[in-house]
Amino acid sequence: MGVTRSMLRRAGFSLLLLLLALGGTAHAERSETERAARWTELQHAIFGDRVVEDAGDRVAIDAPARAEDAAIVPVAIQVADALAPQVRELYLVIDDNPSPLAAHFVLGPLADPREIATRVRIDDYTYLHAIAEAADGRLYGTARFIKASGGCSAPAAKDQALARERLGKMKLTFGERTNHDSPVIAKLLISHPNNSGLQKDQVTQYFIPADFMQTLKVTYNGQPVFQLDSDIAISEDPSFDFRFHPPPSANPGEIKVEVLDSSQRQFIGTWPVAPAPQM
Amino acid sequence: MSRHCGGAPAPSRESRALRTDTRVSIRRVIGLAVVAVAFVLAAVASHAETAPLPVTEIAPGIFVHNGLHEEASAANEDAIANIGFIIGDDNVAVIDPGGIFAEGSRLRAAIRSRTDRPIRYVILTHVHPDHIFGAAAFRDDHPDFVGHAKLPGALTQRGKYYLRRLRGAVGDEAAGSEIVPPTVLVSDRLDLDLGKRRLVLRAHGAAHTDNDLSVFDENTQTFWLADLLFVDRIPVIDGSIVGWLKELKTLTAIPADRAVPGHGPPSVPWPAATEPEQRYLETVAQDTRAAIKAGIGIAEAHRHVANSERGQWLLFDDYHPRNVTASYKELEWE
Repeated sequence: MGVTRSMLRRAGFSLLLLLLALGGTAHAERSETERAARWTELQHAIFGDRVVEDAGDRVAIDAPARAEDAAIVPVAIQVADALAPQVRELYLVIDDNPSPLAAHFVLGPLADPREIATRVRIDDYTYLHAIAEAADGRLYGTARFIKASGGCSAPAAKDQALARERLGKMKLTFGERTNHDSPVIAKLLISHPNNSGLQKDQVTQYFIPADFMQTLKVTYNGQPVFQLDSDIAISEDPSFDFRFHPPPSANPGEIKVEVLDSSQRQFIGTWPVAPAPQM
Repeated sequence: MSRHCGGAPAPSRESRALRTDTRVSIRRVIGLAVVAVAFVLAAVASHAETAPLPVTEIAPGIFVHNGLHEEASAANEDAIANIGFIIGDDNVAVIDPGGIFAEGSRLRAAIRSRTDRPIRYVILTHVHPDHIFGAAAFRDDHPDFVGHAKLPGALTQRGKYYLRRLRGAVGDEAAGSEIVPPTVLVSDRLDLDLGKRRLVLRAHGAAHTDNDLSVFDENTQTFWLADLLFVDRIPVIDGSIVGWLKELKTLTAIPADRAVPGHGPPSVPWPAATEPEQRYLETVAQDTRAAIKAGIGIAEAHRHVANSERGQWLLFDDYHPRNVTASYKELEWE
């Protein structure tokens, strides 16, 4: 049983690697027409027959045009004030990554979707797409081209002992909040290898199993802020900058972060949130 | 010639095999002998045409090849790091076998043009390809391949990626370059005896990488630091910036007559030659902490960090932004 399962897993990873290798050569000289065709294909796979409208200036992607380190590319999805109150879900797609749907955020009523940021791995020169889904089901999409390559199989964990020791530790910091109307701006760091499983052990020739964050749930006093489904496209030590509006109260609240990874490990962190200063 | 020459298997294993199944073993022995002869002939042929790598004798019995301040390419055959060897009364230790098989072979030719003593040790100072991917050139010498206790883990994680990238950068010239895992591990300290010559190997905490070894030659009081010390060429932070500064404090307290940096001149004054590296690392740490505090993002941070160091280093723009990203990722957890 154990042998069969590990063999299957190995076969799966070999296939994944093969697909990646094939994808890599195919992507090398993609034309704009091919890139457009790829996006059409992805849209269909993710959204079925639903139409993705051009978001115009209502949705934007902030990312460097050329990444210094393809394994840690900061990407922010920004939603304009006018659209923000209607937005319920956000999708980040990295067209030419082996696993293109990098992040799917489901926002709770407390979330402020005007800006949400993370760091991703990028495997090849590619378009990024960000899609905002409104409460009425309409989809608003925008694209941005980015030059980076090798991020998915790039070596990680500069200090492996530290990475093991720190696994699952989290750090949450808050920006300064001026009044009740301004959102709480939070920066979340999660220590996790978020391993792609694309590296092979030189001695045993086995693949190092993938080990990545599958879901991230953030709540404030039990109310959902957002839930994220993700995989290997998120960088090692996942990082999220997000905004939310705690209900007005004179009492401190509590933010709770729950992580579930592909090895079925669960990590939980809680932090007090100070009430907004009185005007 | 010594017992280290040729590719014949160890006799004890063969005699055991003969007892269990004589027929098969005899066939194997003949087969192996043919292979061994072919190997020796091929080795003789290839060594005959292998030009010895130029080396400088920086102190009696210590030879260093001075690496180029370039990125790995087909033109430079990845000979970009300082590598070399130390000759004792009984045997020879290689300190980093070079970036590709061809460089390793040329280093071996440089050794053989000076001594017939066996190459007993090949020290792998850390995981980076420019230092160790030529190791396969020494396989027929059957040396101990000596590395940091964390080197196997690092090779597991990165070896294949490095090899692919090396082939991309160097092309056909990278042929024969392989990942050779260490056979002797150092977790704290290991003394090697070369015959009236003792080398002290120290395994360091995460600094340049998480698997750095340094070598101290007691006879000449020479401190071979490999990539724990960069001179002229910008240091690469691939372990821990905080750890590296800490290791430098400990290292510089050890007296020595000279040091061998991993990149830079083959021999430098000790500890004075560490000053620019310490200054760079301290400045990067300080400015990166300030950038994190000011809420500057990880991608933009390098524009705000250690600008005073630009112009002080070769290949600054090739490595500085990545150094800042690495430091940012480390220091944001403080």
